[in-house]
Amino acid sequence: MRIKLTIVLSLILSSSLYASVVDELLTEYRATGVETFSAKAGKALWSQEFINAKTGKIRQCTTCHTADLRNEGKHIRTGKIIKPLAPITNPERLTNLKKTRKWFKRNCKWTLGRECNAQEKGDLLLFMQNFNGE
Amino acid sequence: MCTTKHSVRIWDLPTRVFHWLLVASFILSWLSQGDDRYLDIHVFAGYLFLALLIFRLIWGFVGSNYAKFCNFTCLQIGGYLKTLFTSQRQHFLGHNPAGSWAVFIILGLGLIVALTGLLTLGGEERHGPLAGMISFELGDSLHWWHDSIAWFMLGIIGIHILGVLGESWLHNENLIKSMFTGLKSTTTQSIDIPKHSLTTIFLISSLIVGMASYFNGYLLEANYRPFIGPELPTNPAWQAACEECHLAYHPSLLPARSWQRTFAEQAEHFEEDLYLEPDDIAELQTFAINNAAENTLTEVAWKNNRSIPPEQSPLRITEVDYWVTKHQDIASAIWQLPEVNFKGNCKACHLDAEQGTFEDSAMYLPE
Ligand code: HEC
Ligand code: HEC
Ligand code: HEC
Repeated sequence: MRIKLTIVLSLILSSSLYASVVDELLTEYRATGVETFSAKAGKALWSQEFINAKTGKIRQCTTCHTADLRNEGKHIRTGKIIKPLAPITNPERLTNLKKTRKWFKRNCKWTLGRECNAQEKGDLLLFMQNFNGE
Repeated sequence: MCTTKHSVRIWDLPTRVFHWLLVASFILSWLSQGDDRYLDIHVFAGYLFLALLIFRLIWGFVGSNYAKFCNFTCLQIGGYLKTLFTSQRQHFLGHNPAGSWAVFIILGLGLIVALTGLLTLGGEERHGPLAGMISFELGDSLHWWHDSIAWFMLGIIGIHILGVLGESWLHNENLIKSMFTGLKSTTTQSIDIPKHSLTTIFLISSLIVGMASYFNGYLLEANYRPFIGPELPTNPAWQAACEECHLAYHPSLLPARSWQRTFAEQAEHFEEDLYLEPDDIAELQTFAINNAAENTLTEVAWKNNRSIPPEQSPLRITEVDYWVTKHQDIASAIWQLPEVNFKGNCKACHLDAEQGTFEDSAMYLPE
């Protein structure tokens, strides 16, 4: 019983440490008036196709990151290999506030043609954080 | 009197080995020139060529009878040419006057070609025994002389070959075969010269040792680079900011005005936003300007800068004239390979792209 409790407690502790950047961001997004976030909506947005106005070509998050976040991606324009986005395989992900903010801005602008709103960003964050293969 | 012909040895073994190795090194240097990927082979052929010439100069004093310069017949050229197409034409067992001239001219031109080659290597590439002793400019103009004199030498060798064929035909003897066997058949008495096996063994073993020490990197190291360039200045902030999306191009690849423009337009960097803070920009820009192409840290820096008109500030390295000419022969199928992806992906083909040195022989084409 004691052992089980310690395991559960330490799990909660470590996951909360590890989720702090995500939590901070989610709190920030909530402050703008969004109430709930959904990983399912995040998943849908992740593979949604956007037709770029200038080039007429399809752009998606998966264009560079692939659909399975545990895999390496590749920058479609420069060929640079992108390490997995899922914290489950790459614990460094979503641990640097500045970095996550910057890439959200950049990647939403390039993919959607506009910045993502708080709801979308929160959904995407939950989806990424909990990604374990589905 | 009976005039039976008999064979005598005219060319000693070292002279013959020298002759054919010189031919081989000359051919090798032609085959390996013009493509920077094979510069190390070209330089090896050049060293071999120079070493052989020096050997031949020494052998011209200490070698056997017909190899000695003092027995050359240069001064009899007048009489030789006058009677060449008459029945009184003269026959020489050793080098005839035209052949003697050919040896001296080829030795002389060869030394000039080898020397200008060493100077080009030292000036333009900053390698070899004369590395960095002369400027890029001087190295570049000596490169022109190196090429031109080599072409001239090719012409002289053409004449030499025609002469050998003509003489063989006129005297009904196979001079080319003689340069292999060392033998000529003659009716006159002649001294039979010694073979000089020991000197030959020395020649051949020097060649083997030389080759082994020059090329052993290919056997011992994966991704072996024959030329290692200078260590260029780096900056962690630059590395971090640029590596996010692609190779952190070394600032020596473009002039300062190009980098100033890059930072001025950082919010629209090829459709991407770099999101650099003013502090970051100040640091990155200082690093870029201090090491920009004008500072000629490398051959690429010097050549890229030289080929950009002063009124232009290109944002792309891949639009600079020098870059374009160096890569124009690469098939479009190669640019489309997934591991190449885009022209600015220098790493796909240059082993030293991260260091920014872009040395010759460090590039390869992906399959
Ligand atoms: C044009 C290519 C490209 C597209 C499309 C793209 N990304 Fe990215 N993304 C990158 C690169 C490159 C990185 C930086 C990788 C690194 O740090 O190694 C990155 C990093 C990120 C990060 C940072 C994770 C961290 O370390 O904190 C997030 C979050 C992210 N992307 C989300 C998205 C989302 C959401 C989309 C779709 C809206 C998307 N990306 C589309 C190229 C892309
Ligand atoms: C957010 C991603 C991103 C970042 C960060 C970034 N670049 Fe780029 N860069 C690109 C893209 C995309 C291209 C164009 C690729 C193409 O041609 O399709 C490019 C192209 C370039 C080129 C031209 C390459 C060529 O074709 O010759 C240079 C030079 C360059 N970047 C310099 C920099 C420098 C210096 C930095 C760091 C201060 C930097 N970049 C940071 C995305 C980025
Ligand atoms: C598809 C493969 C490929 C890519 C990508 C590539 N190069 Fe090259 N590069 C080559 C080859 C092959 C040569 C040798 C060309 C020759 O001389 O025949 C070469 C030659 C050069 C040279 C001349 C070297 C010398 O000393 O003469 C420079 C400089 C150079 N490349 C720079 C670059 C830079 C900078 C980039 C990235 C912006 C780049 N290359 C991208 C294949 C590539």
